[in-house]
Amino acid sequence: MKPLDLMQPPPPPSRRREAPAPQPVADGPMVLNIGPHHPSTHGVLRVVVELDGERVLSATPDIGYLHTGIEKTFEAKSYVKGTTLAPRMSYLSPINNNLSYVLSVEHLLQVEVPERATVTRVLLAELDRLASHLVFIGIHALDLGASSVMLYTFREREQILDLMEMVGGARMFPSYIRPGGLAFDLPPGFEEAVATLLDKMPAAIDQYERLLTKNPMWKRRTIGVAVLGAEDAIRFGVTGTAMRAAGIGYDLRRALPYCGYEHYDFDVPMHTDGDAYARYLLRIAEMRESVKIAAQALARLPDGPYATADRKVAPPPKHELATSMEAVIHHFKLWTEGIKPPPGEAYVAVEAPRGEMGFYIVSDGSGRPYRVHMRSPSFVNLQALETMVKGSLVADLVTAVASLDPVLGEVDR
Amino acid sequence: MAFGSGVIRGMGITFRHLVESYVIGFKEQPAAAGDLVAPTAVRAGMPVRTGGMQTVQYPDEKLPIPERFRYLPFLLYEDDADNDREAFDGIRCTACGICAKVCPPQCIWIVQGKGDDGKPRPVATEFYIDASICMSCGFCAEYCPFDAIKMDHDYELSSYERHESWVYDLQELLHPVAYHAAIHPTDWQRELEEQRAKDEAKRRKAEAKAAKAAAAGADGDAEDPEAAKQRKLEARQKMLDARKAREAAKAAEQGDAPDEA
Ligand code: SF4
Ligand code: SF4
Repeated sequence: MKPLDLMQPPPPPSRRREAPAPQPVADGPMVLNIGPHHPSTHGVLRVVVELDGERVLSATPDIGYLHTGIEKTFEAKSYVKGTTLAPRMSYLSPINNNLSYVLSVEHLLQVEVPERATVTRVLLAELDRLASHLVFIGIHALDLGASSVMLYTFREREQILDLMEMVGGARMFPSYIRPGGLAFDLPPGFEEAVATLLDKMPAAIDQYERLLTKNPMWKRRTIGVAVLGAEDAIRFGVTGTAMRAAGIGYDLRRALPYCGYEHYDFDVPMHTDGDAYARYLLRIAEMRESVKIAAQALARLPDGPYATADRKVAPPPKHELATSMEAVIHHFKLWTEGIKPPPGEAYVAVEAPRGEMGFYIVSDGSGRPYRVHMRSPSFVNLQALETMVKGSLVADLVTAVASLDPVLGEVDR
Repeated sequence: MAFGSGVIRGMGITFRHLVESYVIGFKEQPAAAGDLVAPTAVRAGMPVRTGGMQTVQYPDEKLPIPERFRYLPFLLYEDDADNDREAFDGIRCTACGICAKVCPPQCIWIVQGKGDDGKPRPVATEFYIDASICMSCGFCAEYCPFDAIKMDHDYELSSYERHESWVYDLQELLHPVAYHAAIHPTDWQRELEEQRAKDEAKRRKAEAKAAKAAAAGADGDAEDPEAAKQRKLEARQKMLDARKAREAAKAAEQGDAPDEA
């Protein structure tokens, strides 16, 4: 053995240390954040999940990451400016939101809307539903790993957005529906373009179905997953496909018809399983119904004015400004003072692609709303998330969120 | 094996799509070489067809834009040779301020011009639009009563910094009327018709006036314009005098009412 050289510093202690005795993993559940930046949360949704291994013990949606204060903003804007805000809440179903807002304002004003405007609204609302369901199918499949479906659904969605651009000048937020009617008349060539699209739609829907409906992997991931029963659906106030998939045939187009939906011939598809697969099937069936309704609307589209003649609600057509002093005065008055509904409150809801979408508006008789509140389907439906995923695997949480199809702009407002 | 069937079926659809794009491409090859491969329907604003795949080689090719498309607003000026834009000649905007009022995010700023006498003139000497705030709603163009502001189709607006270059001033916003006529043919047609109707109305009014004057002349005592002016001035003076007298009487009635009241 080498004698210790006292002049040298002692050698460093060996780096190898005794490994600690293996500890058992904590018995308690693991808390995991899914989101707010996670591709399958459809925006900035944060779900706090408690896990026992792969099993979900609880899942709490934590919302508010997309809070825009839009309800407050409404109070500072005139009623017509509100038509630019309402669609921006829900970027997947802008027309239905626009429609709901405008119907509420019109209810306050008690104004008659010409037939051409009403039928156009129905037509656009159904195209909007198609566009929204196309996103649902594409993104739902993408979330579960079937990435090509999205390419096909977005192909048709793109054409619907082109139509929106044609009528209103913008793909996502045309703000085309205004109190008293429409912003402008339909452009030339629109009817033929819609007819072309509606002709192609059934074949396209068949194509998506070929990709998914009988696909064994798709079935394995959705059948019996994220089940929401009828009782829970009622308890949470869930509406839309999630409710109809649970066996409750509640559709506002039937229950409280607006825009003359009672005159259209269509079915309300229903299912009783209440699982993600049932919701998928319903959305496919609803798309076929939407094509039917849109075709009927197109067939009965009458000629005539596109907005009410009430100059306190809708501006005079531009060509009148050149020749009529009265029109100019109305024009100036409408834009300086705005529409002034009598004091009161109104709530009109429409069947948006996600469920009951309603605007509650309180008027104090001035040119701006006193209070605007939305009952948005995404917000209400999201509450059912925990019930749907309790006890299932983490992977099924993705299915549950995707099949509820929330729009976070609508949830947070 | 069951899972494989889904994959095979999906691949089948994709493969059919792939083949289709070549077949359709051959069938619909446009006559002129280098032309856009998209079907003509697209150019007319109709939806793209479903079959096959197609790539628009942006930026060499661009899809056509429907007339109502809106991006940023621009201001119109009449493109006459003798119009001096720096002196606000031929600019349609009258600084009425409606666009600034209807703009939901309030991104328009207008300064109304003043004449040498300090009175406001119907011109905008300054006009700013903050492009980073503009929500492209098109309300300004929709509600301008003078057809002075329209929505542009130009969507390639990238810039190297995002402060000054996004606030558009008057000179940057100005475009000749011919540009508007080119991108908004239907709207332009309406404007022409309006102009025609307006001219017609004016002409009819003038004719009616002339007819009236002629009728008056037929009565025998056609007044010469100078005398008529004189008479009007006298009448006005009389009216003013009468008002003064009335006011004086009122003041006297109220006794020692303070002057400044
Ligand atoms: S509304 Fe038209 S005329 Fe009036 S300020 Fe705006 S651009 Fe000018
Ligand atoms: S397009 Fe809308 S947001 Fe933009 S300047 Fe005009 S009114 Fe304002």
